[in-house]
Amino acid sequence: MDTLNILLVGFISIVVVKNLVFTKFLGICPYLGVSGRIDMAFGMGMAVTFVVTLSGTLTWLIDHLILMGTPLEVTRYVCFILVIAGAVQLVEMYLRKFFPSLYESFGIFLPLITTNCAILGLCLFINLWGINSLLEAVVLSFGAGIGFTMAICIMAGIRENLNLADVPKCLKGAPITLITAGILALAFMGFAGMIR
Amino acid sequence: MLKIKYFIQQSWLLIVASFFFGLLIAVTNAALSPRIEQNKINKRNRLVGALLPEAKNFVLETEIEIDSIQGKKEKIEVYKAMSEGGECVGWSFNAAGSGFVDKIELVVAVDKDFEKLAGFDVLSSNETPGFGDQIKYDDYRDQFKGAPAEELKLIPSGDPKKIDAEIVAISGATVSSEAVVEIINNFLTQIKEQMQKKELHGGDEQE
Amino acid sequence: MTNKSEVRTALYGQTLLAGLWRENPVFRLLLGMCPTLAVTAAVKPAFTMGCCVIFVLVCSNIIVSLMRNLLKPHLRILMFTLTISTFVTIADLFLKAFQPEMSEVLGPYVPLIIVNCIIICRAEACASKNGLFVSIVDALGMGIGFTLTLCVLAGVRELLSTGKIFEVQFMPDAFVPWAAMSMPVGAFITLGLLLGLVNMVTKKEA
Repeated sequence: MDTLNILLVGFISIVVVKNLVFTKFLGICPYLGVSGRIDMAFGMGMAVTFVVTLSGTLTWLIDHLILMGTPLEVTRYVCFILVIAGAVQLVEMYLRKFFPSLYESFGIFLPLITTNCAILGLCLFINLWGINSLLEAVVLSFGAGIGFTMAICIMAGIRENLNLADVPKCLKGAPITLITAGILALAFMGFAGMIR
Repeated sequence: MLKIKYFIQQSWLLIVASFFFGLLIAVTNAALSPRIEQNKINKRNRLVGALLPEAKNFVLETEIEIDSIQGKKEKIEVYKAMSEGGECVGWSFNAAGSGFVDKIELVVAVDKDFEKLAGFDVLSSNETPGFGDQIKYDDYRDQFKGAPAEELKLIPSGDPKKIDAEIVAISGATVSSEAVVEIINNFLTQIKEQMQKKELHGGDEQE
Repeated sequence: MTNKSEVRTALYGQTLLAGLWRENPVFRLLLGMCPTLAVTAAVKPAFTMGCCVIFVLVCSNIIVSLMRNLLKPHLRILMFTLTISTFVTIADLFLKAFQPEMSEVLGPYVPLIIVNCIIICRAEACASKNGLFVSIVDALGMGIGFTLTLCVLAGVRELLSTGKIFEVQFMPDAFVPWAAMSMPVGAFITLGLLLGLVNMVTKKEA
């Protein structure tokens, strides 16, 4: 019951309190680029969730089974990024062959998000926070993906309405998105201190 | 055989480069890691030295396992502070827990009998500047210097100059003040209990 | 002979300057946003991050340019990633050894230089197609442009959130610090407004 408690609290905290986009500034590039329409945003969010859960698990396994405590620890960053890139490549090939319809729906995003800071960032944060159980790593990675999906869908909804608003010419596009993101970050700050 | 030849032809650069880069990283690491270790030791010496002025160096005494606030088991290293003459002048350990924004890491120092707190210093925190950030300032920290090493209580208002088991919260930063008190309480009570069981406090060791 | 070297110098100068304004990585190419927002709460971490990026950019451009004729097309990205992550690891070790306080402030954002789009884009677009010297100049231009951008953003944020830069008081005593500037809100809004400003200035030029 205690484990379940820790997992639940961890999940909620990473989705809302320590949201990757609004508090840790991860995943800004796709966030700005793909949040134009809700359906694309949702597709991107789902792709990110999938990749990040997979990468979080794999990198945690590699870190704890091979790297930690050995002299190889210094190659951690190299190993992480190669594992992430390799895993995503394999998944993409597998999906293209066996699940073409699934590949159609989020295939274009997969190569984009391999070198996305959100993925590597989350793997490094899991390492930094000293997470010691595999289950917790999986739940946190999944939660991070869900948090990103939520953030990007909220932004997509707002941007669809912003297209109809009278935005000054020099602010159109990235600037107004950033300012909106700032206001959203302010809103999410209200959750701080909720989970202790 | 042809397949292996093709494979090597395609990826020889990758293999060679991996070796070269691996070597580069290994050499840099070997050259710099003593310095990195020294930095960590210097930092602890500097921070705890400010709290226990007679301490000249620190010796790792023991590792104690305690329950963190979230219910996880953590191993904490307890360091003995030695004066120049080789006497124990106090103990120090690292404590951590969740604050308002993110994790707060403290280094806590107690006197040699685990009776009084020598104080704490913040190793890392991300609290709101101007509010929770004030846990780093002397106004808040001085309340802990000389406080009894037992369960501390946070009170919303009072006289911060009075040194006792009651700590006055920072106005506008209740959660951060509460976090620090909770972290110190949690770690101090468990470490004190286990040190007493091991009969290691008071400066006398029983072999 | 003189003409040729004159032309070459002009080309190098142009490449260097491009990274500073016309093709500024953050303001014009919209690359490398994550560290821009994360480390610009104060000028010193921003400058340190900028220097690390310059180091990694230059080193990786040198290596990629040296290897450019030997690269197999489908293993390109892998080679770039390997090179960049090696140099980021080295930069991180140097930072931990010589600037431990900065290493702690920057935290996990130093290894995130590996996935910083700027570096891999320059390796792809420039270093893999051009000679050694041009690649170095391009790397320096982009790196210095990035560092300057970070410092400008950090300067604005630090000035408004604490009234001082590098411990030197710039704002009058009556100024009440805007704490929001050092939090994520301030980061997003400042960058958004600065981008808008740059757009306004360049539209006027065009």
